[in-house]
Amino acid sequence: MLRHRKLLFALAALIPVLAIYVWVRIMPIGEILRLSLHKWDIISKNKPFIGLQNFRELLEDDLFQAALLNTAIIAFGVLLITIPLSLGLAALIYHRTRSRFAGFYETAIFIPHVVSLVPAAMAWKWIFDAKLGPLNAVLMKFGLEPQAWLFDPVLSIICIIVLCSWQALGYAVLIYIVGFKNLPHSLYEAARLDGASAFQAFRFLSIPLLKPITLYVSVVTLVSGFNVYAQAFVLASDSQGAPGRQVRVLVMDMLENSFRNYRIGYAASEAVVLLVIVLILTLIQFSLLREKGGKSQ
Amino acid sequence: MSRTRLTNLLIDIVLFGFCILMITPLALLVSNAFKSPEELLSWPPRLIPANPTIDNLATVLADTPLLSWVLNSLMFAVASTIAILITSSIAGYILGKFRFRILSVIFAIILATAIIPFEVYMIPLYFQVQELGLLDTVPGLLIGYLVMSFGIFLIRQSVIHAIPDELLEAARIDGAGEIWIFFVIVLPLLRGALGALAVLAFFQAWTSFAWPLIVATSRDSYTIEVGLALFQTGYTVDLGKLSAAATVVLIPSVTIFVMLRKNFVEGIAATGLKE
Amino acid sequence: MSKRSISRLGTTRILAASSALLLTAGSTHAEDLKVWSGFPEMAPFYERVAAELMQQHPDLNITVEAIPLREHEKRIALGVSSGSAGNVIIELANSTATRYLENELFNPAPAPVAEFVTGDGNFSDFFSQGASYQDTVFGVPLFRGQGALFYNTDMFESAGLDAPPATMADYTDYATKLTQRDANGNPEVSGWSLRLSGGGQGIAEKFWINMFQFGGNLVEPAGDGKWQSGVNTEAGLQAFNQYVENVHAQKNVSVEMPADAEAFERQQTAMFIRESWVIGDIAKKSPDLNYATAPLPRGSIALAVNLYVKAEGDAESAAWEFTQMANEPEQLNWMLENIGWLPNRANVDYSAVIEKAPAFAAFMNYPADYEFFTLPAISPVEEVLSRVAAALTDAFADESLAGNSEAQKAILADVDDDINKILKREGLLAD
Repeated sequence: MLRHRKLLFALAALIPVLAIYVWVRIMPIGEILRLSLHKWDIISKNKPFIGLQNFRELLEDDLFQAALLNTAIIAFGVLLITIPLSLGLAALIYHRTRSRFAGFYETAIFIPHVVSLVPAAMAWKWIFDAKLGPLNAVLMKFGLEPQAWLFDPVLSIICIIVLCSWQALGYAVLIYIVGFKNLPHSLYEAARLDGASAFQAFRFLSIPLLKPITLYVSVVTLVSGFNVYAQAFVLASDSQGAPGRQVRVLVMDMLENSFRNYRIGYAASEAVVLLVIVLILTLIQFSLLREKGGKSQ
Repeated sequence: MSRTRLTNLLIDIVLFGFCILMITPLALLVSNAFKSPEELLSWPPRLIPANPTIDNLATVLADTPLLSWVLNSLMFAVASTIAILITSSIAGYILGKFRFRILSVIFAIILATAIIPFEVYMIPLYFQVQELGLLDTVPGLLIGYLVMSFGIFLIRQSVIHAIPDELLEAARIDGAGEIWIFFVIVLPLLRGALGALAVLAFFQAWTSFAWPLIVATSRDSYTIEVGLALFQTGYTVDLGKLSAAATVVLIPSVTIFVMLRKNFVEGIAATGLKE
Repeated sequence: MSKRSISRLGTTRILAASSALLLTAGSTHAEDLKVWSGFPEMAPFYERVAAELMQQHPDLNITVEAIPLREHEKRIALGVSSGSAGNVIIELANSTATRYLENELFNPAPAPVAEFVTGDGNFSDFFSQGASYQDTVFGVPLFRGQGALFYNTDMFESAGLDAPPATMADYTDYATKLTQRDANGNPEVSGWSLRLSGGGQGIAEKFWINMFQFGGNLVEPAGDGKWQSGVNTEAGLQAFNQYVENVHAQKNVSVEMPADAEAFERQQTAMFIRESWVIGDIAKKSPDLNYATAPLPRGSIALAVNLYVKAEGDAESAAWEFTQMANEPEQLNWMLENIGWLPNRANVDYSAVIEKAPAFAAFMNYPADYEFFTLPAISPVEEVLSRVAAALTDAFADESLAGNSEAQKAILADVDDDINKILKREGLLAD
């Protein structure tokens, strides 16, 4: 087989896909970098270059900083809940693979992930409602104080974390289950013969062996955590019978700057900040989990 | 009762409890869909409606183009799934089985862009769609969802894991063309992985929100997510009607997933997702 | 010739012109025209006008798309600048329209329409100027958002109150008397529903209305097209303190309570300030509610909403015809009675509707010295309001501000800085 004919085929097949990829991914990302150095209001024709001024303004923008902080808290909150919980649940479900309920478990846990965001968030909004919601009804039944879930600055963020975790969990659990299914049985046999308990096997075999899965799941969870938007949008949507506190998140601030304040360039500079943060965090995750995973093998 | 069986029972109880917790919000949503306005305001809230009514459902179906929203979403999600299956299988196969330095570089770039949130570059993409004159159309929506970096990654893993080089070489020695090899040997072996990817791609488009919110501007071209989010009567949200609409939307999502669940888990497992 | 027949003549002229155009075009294909509204409750009105117009032009196909205001503004920003909107009639507050007019994105009104807007005593100067930009008419005035007090007469009676509050001090006193509390003293039915949370600029607009009663403005003109913040003033402090006092000191209302029109309709609040559309909403959702309206102590916001046109060819002439038809006396009376927004056209007799729904009197027959303000027609107005709203939401929830005027002043000073910073960036700040 001629090597250059193979290369030719590879490139010929790849080029259409790559062209699409460049057009729908690389080009807009490049455009964002360019726009972040300009001032532009969507509708006017001139688009003056203003250097780093957008970024300088970001440093002093309270709303942007609040959004950044809220988003970071939400993203890490979701990560901290999702990873241990999904690992534990996946271990239990894998353990019960042969049970006739296994299918039910997988389905019930994954369903929130495939349900449309908006109806799900609406349901949660009602659950959290201070005056009509079942959550406070349950609390009061147990003699606890009802809470203003959607209004308290801390509680309203917790509400979003709960909602996002509820949605993220199913995907993480399924990926972990797949991970468990691919683990080598022989190792576990050996461990069992050495007298290790199921828990010890989980702790000292599964967790280290699943590190690549954990890496993948945590990158996906964190990235989608930084993109939180619809959840905050719906939980505070402007309905007046059941108001809610607006938890400002990055994507919301970006969209508001773009389409309410007509500041595309400024929104682009926010996008660049988001991009840099996500890149750095992913690199950190890679180095943390790759290194340790490598050593333990 | 043996110790193992006791443990298993305990595990089942824990899992059952947790699963119930997970579906409770959706159960409440369905229940609210059948409550009258008075009952929705009653305290304490009831789990099961006292006097179930289908008024909400009837009004929603009469007042909103709910079914055409569902149809838009379906068309968008199916088209996106097909596009992603095509682009991912081609790119995944080439990047997995052809060893050239330039291809490694391309793969690295794809991986790096995979983690960039869509919302970051959504606005410039909007203007690209505008240049094509495709705003407010399903093809316009589709442009944001033609490729999926994770899909390329998944198929590449699967190709490396499931397709031995020897098989391809043997075919080549027998004089098979590259295109023939791809369609007749490679694609059938990727069935499981492609099935799993199809589920992911479908629901990614089905639940997308920020993008259709800006691309679809007229009421008839909304996807179901956007339609529901903008579902307001004047200044007030009618929880009953909204829940009814949401219930209608739940049906296709849940059905599709229940049908595909088994293939999905096995498909992902077949990709050897562990490197 | 009476003024009304002149305007009729204008309509007829346009009608003739457009049918001539249709004839010359000679094709039978339908002309599509969209009406974009940011007020979902207005849809039946536009559909009514559209039906009448379509009857006259069988080739015309008008669709009405009314969605919540924020999304409406977004689709205009994207759709109009990109040209993807197609032929469209756009309903927009004149303060928001400025940006589009600066960039020449809406069609200027043809002569007969401009004449209709400026002449004949059809509209007061306030509205005809609001529909113009640099002396050219672009919009056709339609309705306005104007506030008044809504109060539940049953609750007033049980609290021993027989007249609406007349001064802002009365408002707090009344609210304290009207609030129904639980055993712990927390409000169960609020005495005065204030806008304390939620997304968007509404919080700032409501605050401005209250502040105006104390003689102030959130943003003040400073001559030469320049502006400055007026929030860090005595009026600002009084208005702010009144919120804090009602929420935290008197506990007449709480952040998490149901609020606004919906709460009023469900008898969960005794009084609140809102625009006239609430009258229509109450008639629809709780027709048995006993309530009345009253003018505010000093004056009100008057936010003019106009119809603009972005269209070409036959669709454009049809669009202008639509804007005129919407302003026919019969249509305006229908809008007032069934939707509840206040028509801006002056030389029309609305007395039949007011007689049927006396609640409109507080909006239409206000005292002679009643004053009005409107949102400044400057491009960053939304940004100013949403930033103020974000700061106020946090402040309203802060219990420690009760009775602490130093801390309150510090917050107002911060808000003041925020506003002036935006004005400065856009070159609109007075020196």
